Amino acid sequence: MNFKTVGSPLARSGGLERVTGQQKYVADIKLPSMLESKLVTIDSAHAKILSIDISEAQKVDGVLLVMTANDLPHPVPRFGPQIEDRPVLADKEVKFHGEPVALVVAETIEAAKQAACLVHVQYKELPAIFSVEKALDPSAPLVMDPFLRPNDPKSNTNVFNEHRYGWGEIDESKADIVVENTYSFPMVTHFCIEPHAFIAAPDKDGIAIWSTIQHPYWLQKIIAKLLKLPLSKVRVFAPDPGGGFGGKQHTKYEPALAFAALKLGRPVRLVLTLEESFQAVRRTSCETHIRTGFSKHGRIIFQDIIANYLLGAYVDIADRVVGKGSYAGAGPYNTPAVRILARSILSHTSPATAFRGFGNPEINWAVESNIDEAARLLGIDRLEIRLRNLAKKGDRFIPYDKPADGDWQQTVIKAAELIGWNKPPDPSHHRGIAVGIKLGPTTGLSYSLVRLLADGSAILACGTSDMGQGARSVFAQIVSEELGVPYENIQVVMGDTATVLYDQQTSASRSTVLMGNSILKACYSIHSQLKIKLARAYQIEESQISIDHGIVKFPDHEEEIPKIIKTVLGSLGGEIIGVGEERKEGEKNHPLGGSACFYEFNCTAVDIEVDEKTGDIIIARYATVSDVGKSINSMQVHMQDEGAAVQALGHTLMEHYIFDEKGRIRNLGAADYKIPTTMDLPKEFLSETVENLDGPGPYGAKGMSEGALLCVSSAVASAVSEAIGTTIRDLPLTPERVWQAIHLQK
Amino acid sequence: MFDFEYIRPISVSDAVDFLKAHGSETRMLAGGTDLLIQLRNNEIKPLFILDLKHIPELQTGIQQKNGIVSISATVTMSDLIMNELINRYFPALIDAAKVIGSVQIRNRATLIGNICNASPAADSAPPLLVYGAEVVAIGPKGIRHIPLNEFFVRSGVTILQEDEFVTFLELPIPQKKMGAAHVRRTRRRGHDLASVTLCCGVEETGIVRLSYGSVGPRPMLVVDESGVLVDRKASEESKAIVFESMFSQANPSKTSMRASPAYRLAMLRVLGKEALELAISRLDEGGL
Amino acid sequence: MAKPIPIEINIDNRNYRLEVSPSMRLLDLLREKLDFTATKECCSIGECGACTVLVNGRAVDSCLMLAAEADGATILTAEGLSQDGHLNDLQEAFLEKGAVQCGFCTPGQLISATYLLSHNPHPSREEVEEGMAGNLCRCGCYERIIDAVISVSEKNGGEK
Repeated sequence: MNFKTVGSPLARSGGLERVTGQQKYVADIKLPSMLESKLVTIDSAHAKILSIDISEAQKVDGVLLVMTANDLPHPVPRFGPQIEDRPVLADKEVKFHGEPVALVVAETIEAAKQAACLVHVQYKELPAIFSVEKALDPSAPLVMDPFLRPNDPKSNTNVFNEHRYGWGEIDESKADIVVENTYSFPMVTHFCIEPHAFIAAPDKDGIAIWSTIQHPYWLQKIIAKLLKLPLSKVRVFAPDPGGGFGGKQHTKYEPALAFAALKLGRPVRLVLTLEESFQAVRRTSCETHIRTGFSKHGRIIFQDIIANYLLGAYVDIADRVVGKGSYAGAGPYNTPAVRILARSILSHTSPATAFRGFGNPEINWAVESNIDEAARLLGIDRLEIRLRNLAKKGDRFIPYDKPADGDWQQTVIKAAELIGWNKPPDPSHHRGIAVGIKLGPTTGLSYSLVRLLADGSAILACGTSDMGQGARSVFAQIVSEELGVPYENIQVVMGDTATVLYDQQTSASRSTVLMGNSILKACYSIHSQLKIKLARAYQIEESQISIDHGIVKFPDHEEEIPKIIKTVLGSLGGEIIGVGEERKEGEKNHPLGGSACFYEFNCTAVDIEVDEKTGDIIIARYATVSDVGKSINSMQVHMQDEGAAVQALGHTLMEHYIFDEKGRIRNLGAADYKIPTTMDLPKEFLSETVENLDGPGPYGAKGMSEGALLCVSSAVASAVSEAIGTTIRDLPLTPERVWQAIHLQK
Repeated sequence: MFDFEYIRPISVSDAVDFLKAHGSETRMLAGGTDLLIQLRNNEIKPLFILDLKHIPELQTGIQQKNGIVSISATVTMSDLIMNELINRYFPALIDAAKVIGSVQIRNRATLIGNICNASPAADSAPPLLVYGAEVVAIGPKGIRHIPLNEFFVRSGVTILQEDEFVTFLELPIPQKKMGAAHVRRTRRRGHDLASVTLCCGVEETGIVRLSYGSVGPRPMLVVDESGVLVDRKASEESKAIVFESMFSQANPSKTSMRASPAYRLAMLRVLGKEALELAISRLDEGGL
Repeated sequence: MAKPIPIEINIDNRNYRLEVSPSMRLLDLLREKLDFTATKECCSIGECGACTVLVNGRAVDSCLMLAAEADGATILTAEGLSQDGHLNDLQEAFLEKGAVQCGFCTPGQLISATYLLSHNPHPSREEVEEGMAGNLCRCGCYERIIDAVISVSEKNGGEK
C-alpha cells in the first residue's frame, strides 16, 4: 500500500504555534474584566471544619468574594464521573490535604493571595487514613459518608468496590512451584508542566468554561447539571492542554468557579500552583498480594491476585481504573486458572484519577516480577518463560472475551533482539525484560465534521483533546490521505463544545481508532457526495467513478479531489460537508460494560549496571517495542513510546509522595518530588514498532501511547534482581532502596 | 508575596547606613535564587529587600592580590566556573559550582549568597572550608574578617549581626602543593540538593582536610595530620579508622526527606574515599 | 502600599518604560503586565525551567527574579526567536526532530538551547544534557530536544 501522508513522519500540526510561543494555554487567556482567584486550604489531611472567618479576607482591597460551602445551594452540590461524592467546596469536613475550603475572588492575583492567607479556618483535626492497612482496619473512620451509597452493604467500610474476575478451578490447580509475594506501587502524581487552569464566565444566559480538561463533553454535562442549565447553554472551551496523562480527564474546580462567576457576573480564573496540582490528582497506588503457580517447565498454572488499590477521598474515575486495570491483571498469557480480587479502597488522600496505563502498571509490577522469580527458581531464561506462556494471536487468553489481537511473540522477540538478549552482556551489565498489556476503550462515541472547502483546502472539527500526543497531525493526515488535500492546507479545530461535535472523551489510547474511524466515515461521506455531483457534471454513471486515496478515477482519466472541486461546487461555491459517527456500544452483561476495541501490547527490555556502593542504577540500553497495527504518523508514535518510557522511569527510579504521620504530603512541589531530567536518560534508547495492519482503526491502526509505560518498572527490576541477587518489591527503586537491599543481604 | 520595599543603594556605605537603621527587617538580594523562594513560600516577611547589585565596590569580581583571591558579592556560580584563577587554584570549588542547581540557577546564584543562606547542604561550603576561605563582612562597627569555619552556626544561621553583610570572600592561594576534589550524593543525576556533599583536600605534607555537609546542622571541617590517608603502605583498616574519626561529628537529620541517616552515613564513607582518591590523583598530577 | 519602582527594559527588541511593584517577578511582568505569554509558569521555584528567558544574554528562571532587578536589562523570550515571521534554526530543528509534544515546556527549552549554543557552539551530547537539565519535560521529549540542539550545532560547523 502506497500512502501519500499516512505513515509519514510529518511535522506536528500545531507545532509551529508551540515553537513560536503563540500557542495559547488556559493560563495565557485573558478575558475583559476577568477576576483572579485562589483556593483556600488547611494544613490537614482530615479535619472537621468548625468555623470559617472570612471577615478579614473580605476587607482586602480588590477582593469581591470569599466563597465557602455556605454560599452554595443546599445541600452542597456534589459531582463525580462515577459517583456524585465530591462537594463543590468542602462541606463541613476536609477529607484530603489540599481540599478547598473556600475560593477567594479578587481583581488581582496578589489581592486574592493576600486574602486567602487571611481566611481563618477553625478546625478539629481527625485521624487520617492514608494506607491500605489503616483503611481496611474495622475500626477505621469512614472516608465516604454512608449516605452517599445507601444501598451498598460496603458503605460502612472504606472499600468502595470489589472487582472479581477469574476462570478455571484455582483451588484444584496443581502447580510444581508457587511463588507468593507482596508488591507495592507508590503514590505518584502526573506533574504536567502545565498545572491545571480554569476560567468560568457568564455567557449570555448560560456559562462558558475554559479548562485544561481532556474530556470537554463530560465537563459540559457536569456543569449543566450542577447549574441546572441545558447543555446548549454550557459552552466548554478546551485549549490543547500542556500535558494531561489522565490527570486532566475529569472535572475538578470548574464548578466552584462557575458558581463564583455567575454570582459576580464576571469571568473568574483559577490557575493552580504545581503544589496544588499534586494535591488535586495522582495515580492509584496499590498493594498486591500474588500467588502464581507454575509447572516445572515454566507454564503458568494459576494466578491468584489480591490487588488493594488505594484511592483518594473522592472516587473520581479511580474505581474504573481499578476495575479495568485489574481485568487483564493476569497478563497476556494463557493461564488455566485465574482469580483476581481488586479492591478500590478510599483514604484521606488526594483523589486518585486516571493516569497513563489506567491501573495496569500497578498490577503488572507484581505479575511480571513474580514470573521473573519463577524463572530464577526453575532455571528458565526470563525471555523463554514469557514466550512459553504468551498468548498467540487469536488465543482467548481471557476465556470469555476478545481474543489476543496481535502477534505478541513478534513484539517480544524484536525487543529481545534490540537489547541483545541472546548475546552475553558486557561485564557488570545485567538485563531485564517484561511485557505489558492494557485494554483499549470498551465503549466510545466520536463525531467528526470534515469540510472540504471551495479551493480544495479543508477544515476538520473534532472533539479529541490534543495534549501532546499529536492527535491533530494524525487526523489531518487521514483527511489528507482520503481527500487529497495537502497536509499543510488542513485546519484542525478542537476544543469548543459549541462548534465541534460530540466526542465522548480522550483516553484509553482511543482517539486514533475511534475518532480516526469517525473521520474516515466523514471523508467517505464526502466521497459519496462527490461521486453524485461528478456523475451529474460529467453525465456518467456513479458506478463509473471511484475515489481512492484522494484521487477521483474516471473511466478515462484521474484527478486529485482538490483540482476538481470547482467543477463539483459550481458557480455558487460553498463546501462539501461530511459528518462521521463512530460508535462502540456497550455490552450489557460484560463486567467492564464492553469488550475492548483493541489491546495495547508492549515489550520493554533494559541493560543496566548497578553501582553497589551507592545503589545507583545506570541504564546502558533501553529497548521498547509496541504492537501498533499501523503508524499513522511514525515520528509521533516513537515520540509517544519514548515519552512513556521517560515518564515510567520516573515512578521506577525516583517518584513518590512522602507523608508525615498525619497524612499530610511533605514533598509538594518540584524541590522534593523529582522527575527525570535530560541527565537521567538511558545511555542508548531504541524504540520500534510491530505493524501488522491488524487493528480496528484507520488502515489497520491500533491505539497506542500507554503500552510503553506498562511494564517499565518490571523490566528494570528484572535486571536489578540479576545485578544484586535479591528482589526489591517496592517502588521506586531509589538509590537508597537499592543500597539497602544490597546491604541487608550482607 | 508579602509587600516589601525595594532598596537599591549605590555604595557600600549607603547599604551600611540602611542596615544600621533597618537591619532587622531587611534581607539582602544578590542572585535571589534562595530569597525569592523564601518570599514566595512566605517563609520570610521582610519589610525591605536590599539589592546590592548596583554597588560598584561590590562588582570587582574575582581578583588576585598579595596571595589572596578575592571574590566579590555579585560573583555568580557561572562567573566562578568560567574564571581562570578559580580553575587554576581552586578546582574543587569548580567541581561544586558546576553542580549547584541548573544552568539557569548558576547564572544568577552568587557564591556569597550561597554561604549566607547557610544551608547545611550548600555545595560550595565544603571546598571553601577546605581551601580556608575567609568572609569579609561590613557593618556599622566596621569591617571584620571571619574564617568560614566560624561563619556557619547552624541551618540558615550565620554569625553575622542583623546590620552586617558580606562584601567579599577571600581565598588564600595554596602555598603548598595540594590536590582537592568535591563530590556529592543526590537522588537523581539531574540537578538536586545534596544528600551528602563533601570535599577532600590533600597536601604534599600528608595533611588531609575533609569537609562535609548535609549530615548535620552545618558544614563541618575536619583536619587529619597523621598522614595515614595518603600513605600508600597504610592498610585499609588503618585508613578506615582515620576516616571514622573524621566522620564522627556527622549527625544527619532523622526527618530529612532526601535520605535516611543510615544511607547518609554510609555515603559519607563512600564519598570520602572517592574524594580522597581524586584529591590524591590531582596532587600527583601536579597539585592544585 | 509599597513604592513602585520605575524601570526601563527591552523585551524581544521592544523598549518599555514602566513602574513595577517591588514584589512583582520578572515572570509576572512578562506574562501579566505585558502579555508575553509564551514564557510559562510551572514550579515557581526555579526547578523546572518553564519560565526561562535570556537576561542580558544569560538564561535565567524568570520566576526567581524581581522585575525591578531587570531594570536596564535586555530580555529575550521565545517569542523573540523568529525573525520576520521565519522560524530560526533551533525552532525548525525542534519541529523536524519531533522535540515538541504538548509544547508547554518548549519556550523555555528553546531559550536554554539558545543560551547553550551561544557560549558553546559545538557541544558534546553530554554537554547538551547538562546544559538542558534545568528544563523539565514531562512528555519526555528529551532525546529529541538534544538531537535538535546537536543538529543545529552541526549545521553551524561540526561537533566536537
